[in-house]
Amino acid sequence: MRAFSLALALGASLLATSAALADITVYSAGPGGLIDKLAAGYTAKTGVKVNVFQATTGKIMARIESEAANPVVDVLISASWDTATDFARRGWLVAYTSPNAEKVPAFLKNDTAVAQGISALGIAWNPASGTPKPAEWADLTKPEYKDLVTIPDPAQSGASFELTAALQAKDGWELFKGLAANGAIVAGANAEALNPVMQGAKAAVFGAVDYISLAAKAKGESIDVIFPASGTVIAPRPMMILNWSKQQDDAKKFIDYVLSDEGQKAVAATYLMPARADVKANRPLISELKILPVDAAAVYGKRDATLAEFGKVFGK
Amino acid sequence: MRAAAARTSGHGPIGWVAGVSLALIVAVPFVFIVLQAIFPELGRGSFAKPLQHLPKTLADPALIRLAGHTLLIGLGVVAGCTLIGVPLAVARALFRVPGALVWDVAFLVPFMIPPYIATLGWIMTMQPRGYLQQLTGINLGPLLFSVPGMILIMTLNLFPVVYFAVSRTIEAVGTRYADVGRVFGARPARAFWRITLPLATPGLAASLLLVFALAIEEYGTPAALGTRFGFEVLVTGIETRISDWPIDLPGAAILSLLLVGLSLVAFLIQRRILSGRNFDTVGGKPQAKDKRALGPWAVPVGLAFALVALLATGLPLAAILATALSKTISGGLKPSNMGLQNFEEVLFNAGGALQALGNSLSLGIGTALVAGALGALTAYAVVKGRGRGRLGLEVLAMLPSALPGVVVAVGMILAWNQPWLPLTPYNTAFILLIAYCCILLPQPVRYATAAFQQIGDNLEAAARVAGARPLTVFRRIMLPLILPSLVTSMLLVFAVASRELVASLLVAPVGMMTIAGFIWRQFEQGSVGLGMTMSFIAIVLTTLIPMLLIAALRRFAGARFTGLQ
Repeated sequence: MRAFSLALALGASLLATSAALADITVYSAGPGGLIDKLAAGYTAKTGVKVNVFQATTGKIMARIESEAANPVVDVLISASWDTATDFARRGWLVAYTSPNAEKVPAFLKNDTAVAQGISALGIAWNPASGTPKPAEWADLTKPEYKDLVTIPDPAQSGASFELTAALQAKDGWELFKGLAANGAIVAGANAEALNPVMQGAKAAVFGAVDYISLAAKAKGESIDVIFPASGTVIAPRPMMILNWSKQQDDAKKFIDYVLSDEGQKAVAATYLMPARADVKANRPLISELKILPVDAAAVYGKRDATLAEFGKVFGK
Repeated sequence: MRAAAARTSGHGPIGWVAGVSLALIVAVPFVFIVLQAIFPELGRGSFAKPLQHLPKTLADPALIRLAGHTLLIGLGVVAGCTLIGVPLAVARALFRVPGALVWDVAFLVPFMIPPYIATLGWIMTMQPRGYLQQLTGINLGPLLFSVPGMILIMTLNLFPVVYFAVSRTIEAVGTRYADVGRVFGARPARAFWRITLPLATPGLAASLLLVFALAIEEYGTPAALGTRFGFEVLVTGIETRISDWPIDLPGAAILSLLLVGLSLVAFLIQRRILSGRNFDTVGGKPQAKDKRALGPWAVPVGLAFALVALLATGLPLAAILATALSKTISGGLKPSNMGLQNFEEVLFNAGGALQALGNSLSLGIGTALVAGALGALTAYAVVKGRGRGRLGLEVLAMLPSALPGVVVAVGMILAWNQPWLPLTPYNTAFILLIAYCCILLPQPVRYATAAFQQIGDNLEAAARVAGARPLTVFRRIMLPLILPSLVTSMLLVFAVASRELVASLLVAPVGMMTIAGFIWRQFEQGSVGLGMTMSFIAIVLTTLIPMLLIAALRRFAGARFTGLQ
């Protein structure tokens, strides 16, 4: 019985230390360091505290879905623009246009969502792998890369799915059949696809999220990111204010802060492309990439069919 | 069920406490999972469109494949753990194995290594250009990325469950009964097969059941290893439904119920094996705990222990440490690539590392205390109680071991985030405490049940004749007798709770970081080295804290404390 009272006391102390009443609650997809920095900067500016829940987009969605009866999130930052479209259709979003969004290109904002930053997909290649440097997606079907390519699962990543759909719309399934025949494996989410390439067990990731690889390269890892000239897809990361939020004014100020000079510099520091066209970044920007057209409505309309076909090609 | 538990004559209060607590911690989230499986709109607080999604989920051709894979892994790991765990346990319990204490500690360490991390360590060692190839030129990648490889890795993670349970049980049985057999002319091997081993059945059956349940609900290893050769099991299927847009909570709930069904069948088989037999071996008579010498077998047996310890503990730990010490992953195992940068980053609190450590260790201690107390009470009510409530209690206590962590997490959110609740643990650290207790309760219940099953009823009867009330009997007689087993299981609970991954990721209150959450974040961002550093620190802490605790207990309680000896 003593154990019980001890546990209760311990629990009470835990209760006291966490969940001090926060002023706004932000759910954010990675990178974790970025949202911590943005939250701290916002609090320093406004005095309003930010409570952060950071996880993958999928985990955040699962949490929002199971919390739907009693939601707590004020601001949501997703890694997939599809979230913004879907939530707007459900009528869950507050319309807001930040004054700081003026320099954000029109295709990165709408009434209810605005991009925090943008990632692009590329080939993450290990120069120490003893393979020639690939330049095109199709290069990875060559015998030099036999059994040496990983692909992030399009079922687990919105951007990978869009790349799959865009390349398939352009050239059909031939490219993917070639990859499968060349021993490429579909390896979980982005990090799981990148890890074997860093150690050299594999040579290249087909469609890696660029900022993770660029950050790894900056840390001294032997990794290069190649954006094929034939085109790739980008993944703008939408910020949204949920309509059940009781702190909508503070939530709007948070969006303003992320789009401020300071906020956008923090975004650029993580090797994401900043949403504002006038903020500099130490990496290739949208203007330097060829972006494949993605008709989101059409592509997501046949998501299940595309994934099923992809699965068939890779024998899943 | 609660009322039935209360009817347990003579054990009423204990049955009540156990029943109400289990209802709150286990039944509530489980009921919400069942409701979710029936009512797809439950998350939005609506009971609309019941069962509409059922045909779609059940008609999915993947279902049979996932269930088959799950069963294959579960049975394979049970077989592997029997092959490795039982011989070692028997040798440890009956003979003086050279370096026995060292092996015990070494076999304890796999509990402290999160399976996901251990598997990642294996991958980084065995994949092409991994550490093994860098050091020796041998590439065992094809072996690792296969079903036997996955079973082997999971076996090496889980066999200690069998080892500790069986060696403790056989030690409790002692050599006395076998000696009686010897007096009647049985040869040593016959006495062992016909007397000692059958008497150890409760511990063996309980631990194998636990291994089966743990293996089929394991997420980390199938997720890390299976993706590399396209092998999916039910848990990864559930995880996919929960974390891939569009989220399919009802589908995940149905798959979870299937998983629970599998565990339930295993549980019933175990009960059938044990039912109608009497395993009382602790009768209050003092017994000599003398172990025999191994003689010429000392060296081969010692080598066998060393080999298993090297594979189960040494190799993953070395791989984790090597990664933690590497400046870059692509740099490989070169002296110029080694440094303490990652450790510096953790100590200087990169990404809230220290808060994460503090939070997780406190939660681990809290969970160990609550789950230990509850486990002892539940096991007592189940083994020594009477009445129909017992089966219900036992099923409730076993349920969580069949529920994947991610499902418990969703059940917790569904149950405790209802808007009409006046008071809720949701979004406080309590929700993690409850979730951990739910997930880990089967451990102390199993260990305590096996211990209670070996305590003769006459001890209790004698105490009752002497006028002791049920609670006094429990506190003064039963609890001290099962304490070694209970403390062992509580230490495991502490170790597992302080690094629990899946539920932590989903139900952690906003703004609260745990060890596993921190590690996951690092992996997700490609900072494998930092993640492995945190893992290493967590493994060292969760191993050292229980060791120091045991040393302290020995010091204060002297020879009376026999746990983990």
